[in-house]
Amino acid sequence: METPPKSPALKPGARTLVVLGAVTVGFGALALLLSANLWGRLSPRAQIPPVDKTFLETTPWRRTYADLVKAKEDLSDYDCYGCHEKGKPPPLRFDDKGKLLVPDEHQNIVMGHGSHDRNNLCFNCHNEANLLTLQIRDGTIVRFDNIPPLCGSCHGPTYRDWEAGAHGRTSGYWNRSMGPIDRLSCASCHNPHAPRIPTRAPAPPPHSLRDIGHPKPAKSETTP
Amino acid sequence: MPLPETLPPPPDKTSDSAMSRRNFLRGSAAFAGLSALAASLSPLRELGDFSSSEEFMQKYYKEMTPADMKKALERISREVEHQYGIRPHVRDLRPMDGVEFVYALNLTRCIGCRKCVHACVAENNQSRNPEIQYIRVLKMPHGSLDMEKGDHNYTPESVPEPGFFYMPVQCQQCHNPPCVKVCPVNATWQESDGITVIDYDWCIGCRYCEAACPYWARRFNFTKPEIPKERLNPEMAYLGNRPRKQGVMEKCHFCIQRTRAGKYPACLEVCPVGARKFGNILDPESEISYILRTKRVFIQLKEEMGTNPRFFYYFDK
Repeated sequence: METPPKSPALKPGARTLVVLGAVTVGFGALALLLSANLWGRLSPRAQIPPVDKTFLETTPWRRTYADLVKAKEDLSDYDCYGCHEKGKPPPLRFDDKGKLLVPDEHQNIVMGHGSHDRNNLCFNCHNEANLLTLQIRDGTIVRFDNIPPLCGSCHGPTYRDWEAGAHGRTSGYWNRSMGPIDRLSCASCHNPHAPRIPTRAPAPPPHSLRDIGHPKPAKSETTP
Repeated sequence: MPLPETLPPPPDKTSDSAMSRRNFLRGSAAFAGLSALAASLSPLRELGDFSSSEEFMQKYYKEMTPADMKKALERISREVEHQYGIRPHVRDLRPMDGVEFVYALNLTRCIGCRKCVHACVAENNQSRNPEIQYIRVLKMPHGSLDMEKGDHNYTPESVPEPGFFYMPVQCQQCHNPPCVKVCPVNATWQESDGITVIDYDWCIGCRYCEAACPYWARRFNFTKPEIPKERLNPEMAYLGNRPRKQGVMEKCHFCIQRTRAGKYPACLEVCPVGARKFGNILDPESEISYILRTKRVFIQLKEEMGTNPRFFYYFDK
């Protein structure tokens, strides 16, 4: 095969140079493209909003009388004799189904203690002779800042577990020789008037790879 | 035979003395080869500060002298400070004598709020995007312990939902851990206090342990972990929550940076209902001993696997 004579202006040596230059430029461009890695780059991931810090809180959702005293806060809610008269137990009123009628002054109290609200007699726990204290049915007087014995007078097994550390929240040090342990008492978690812990919104579920822009597999795998 | 006449004339070697065909091809081939080599090495650039020579030369955890460890901790502090602008407090905490950790979870109490999941992420500096979480909370229908029925993507308005109970699953810190057996480089092992740990600097990322774990407790860093600076926990431990890098495994380590300093794990402290209990099983006075002695401890998860977990599930009534 004979190559037809091309561009007679170029001498054979110059032709080689031109071809060589073109090839060099070509390879150079290819090298640049490859090292710029234009194909292998991942598409940017979708943002995941940082989790709301309220879900990281370790403080209990209720504050007890003891907490208020410690924080030196307003205790006027506990000043019973600001309204009530000393030596005169407040009367209790019930509707015809035997349900306690909470007086207007105490509308913030929602009763719900025991199944079917059976524990709805205020003086099961409050001391009718002195509203500033509480009272166990055996006559023992209990202060507002130390209520577990009162709760435990009915909830024996739970009280036993709580004393052993098996019921309730703890924080601090498991190793008592290295630091203090912080044990919460009943009213830090349970509202004494309605002790069942209310339902709450759950923290967000895990974001799957697909949520942040990972392509779907062609076929669904094991899960439906 | 007129053949000699039809043949093309022999190549004129004198026409281009600068470059013969052979040299030209050689040069091109060498150039293409070098380009290909450069291109094939180019992913290494993305590793950036992935592996310093110091880290590369670092010894195996169990062979490190205190001086070696000091150097390693110093290097980690430097790297964290460089990356996040926060000087961390990195320690190498060793197991205490006479301590074996056990965890117990009260299925009667758990309400499935997932606070433990996120407290764990915050404490242990897990990647936020893609998300790495050590705890999965399974929502299970009442009357069954069949994990196949568990769902961890539930998003109701409020929990608990009637008819379901919630079962958080995390590393079970087995007595007989399958993940440790399969590790080809001994980058994961069980310590004397029962915690199975990972040396992130020794892990080669083969993910055998992930496959061996029957609890889906191990997580792999497919990408460089992403942690917002303001959410970095600077209280770190070498075998614990120091930031990981791309290509290594991680998992729950009972908050080694807390528990070996005498504190409770983060998931326990955040639990709003006190469903999580933790302590030293070798201390008969500890609450964990009391629970295992007196409570209806129902299961070690997947007991039939023979892994003998240090994580127990129990019921109150």
